Amino acid sequence: MEVRKVLLTEDEMPRQWYNILADIKMNPPLGPDGNPVGPEMLAPVFPMNLIEQEVSSERWIDIPEEVLSVLSIWRPSPLTRAISLEQALDTPARIYFKNECVSPPGSHKPNTAVAQAYYNKAFGIKRMTTETGAGQWGSALSFACSQFGVECKIFMVRVSFDQKPYRKSMMEAWGGQCVASPSPETKAGQDILSQDPDSPGSLGIAISEAIEAAVSDKTGKTRYSLGSVLNHVVLHQTIIGLEAKKQLEKIGEYPDVIIGCAGGGSNFAGIAFPFVYDKINGKEIEIYPVEPAACPTMTKAPFVYDHGDTAGYTPLLPMYSLGHKFMPPPIHAGGLRYHGMAPTVSQLAAEGIIEPKAVSQNPAYEAGITFARTEGIIPAPETTHALACVIEEAKKAKEEGKEKVILFNWSGHGLLDLAAYDKYFACELEDCVLSDKEISEAEKVFEKFPKPEKLSSRPR
Amino acid sequence: MVEKKYDLLQRRCPRLGGPITFQYCRETGEGGLPCWKVVDCWWEYFDVLSVLKENLPAEKFNRILTASPKPKITSLIELAQAAKKRCES
Repeated sequence: MEVRKVLLTEDEMPRQWYNILADIKMNPPLGPDGNPVGPEMLAPVFPMNLIEQEVSSERWIDIPEEVLSVLSIWRPSPLTRAISLEQALDTPARIYFKNECVSPPGSHKPNTAVAQAYYNKAFGIKRMTTETGAGQWGSALSFACSQFGVECKIFMVRVSFDQKPYRKSMMEAWGGQCVASPSPETKAGQDILSQDPDSPGSLGIAISEAIEAAVSDKTGKTRYSLGSVLNHVVLHQTIIGLEAKKQLEKIGEYPDVIIGCAGGGSNFAGIAFPFVYDKINGKEIEIYPVEPAACPTMTKAPFVYDHGDTAGYTPLLPMYSLGHKFMPPPIHAGGLRYHGMAPTVSQLAAEGIIEPKAVSQNPAYEAGITFARTEGIIPAPETTHALACVIEEAKKAKEEGKEKVILFNWSGHGLLDLAAYDKYFACELEDCVLSDKEISEAEKVFEKFPKPEKLSSRPR
Repeated sequence: MVEKKYDLLQRRCPRLGGPITFQYCRETGEGGLPCWKVVDCWWEYFDVLSVLKENLPAEKFNRILTASPKPKITSLIELAQAAKKRCES
């Protein structure tokens, strides 16, 4: 029988996190006054021990024993070889994934939630507040707070609160208090509700409420917590990649390709950054953060000559295009698309050390189903984007006849997102809603352009 | 008035992790603006820029066009300062 899982013992868990700020140059974050942010400006929001991590440029930071002890409830997470998927794809690639679904809340999020709850507790904080969208982060923080005896208050965006009632149940099972945002419990929430009692809420409102609940506590014993984007969050997630390195070493493997889905960037960074360190030091690795795209332009759009810019200044180039009015506005294209992402991830993309990819939702769900029917785990919708990229790379390896090693992060299971799968099965997910009429309207811009010849580089 | 055929369109919100309508996206940003990702999320579905241009005052439309979210740290500090002010008043 072929070995599927590479396991580490608890003794083999990494004892330090990797801090990428030691190895890349970043512009400092600026405060509202335009000057670099000083630690004291963040003190009402975060405990000082986490602020120190946020600004630290030490390459290795010790993981406290208390944190390791809680992480060991599910860590080290297995490194699993996707043997069944490899067989189904008939690929020479060897595909490995870190299975972060095995945590109690079912995702990678508690890697930082546990650390944050510990540092808050160590700083004397009694209560933590946060916001949550889909509920993954809220449930992770609720779980972590329960481990350290810290109270947890979660403001969940109303629209998600109504869509995902079981997330609230999870948070409450761990002792957290989850309220729909906007709530009557904060002035920010009261203001919104007075204007619109049926407000569906937004992440912006929920963050305002969570921060207000923290900074308005006159005892000074409440702090806010964020589950993505910030440096200390990314730092805590590097345990994923550090474990993966040890596990691959055990079996004499090293990845050629690393893939992770990228929303705020923390799960991608968690698996990738320890390998980015190697790449900076000369290793040849392809590293792909994968984000959702709306429309498979390559399949829906015609192959035409079109300008590459909306103003029509660039030469006519053969491309798949829906007409230049459908080109993404420059401010939303390329690297700037990564505004909502961890600054370190954006910086690495800007430097070309990592190469962002985009996948649209139907191919993503298709990949999710393929994985579910081969490897057995039903992936979270965001994870499916990484899976689609993995399948693409595995097929490429087959075409090239290369025995590539592909490593990716299985960031969470989708057992609380089954409604999304129902929509996929019912064919209710539309990648692109342009009607044929709208497409032919768009195509009118090509009427006067020459038509590219359909060439084939392969022998017929 | 935005046509219903656009407002009723649904997609998965990359920030919230669930299905939302275009109407939600154009109504729930800061200061009465659409969400700052509205163009990013919808441009491949339909000509979202034209729809927004037709339905927003020029000043608001230009703010969306030049939307460039602040670094997270900066926005957290601003939110903390705003929360303190709210609670003091």
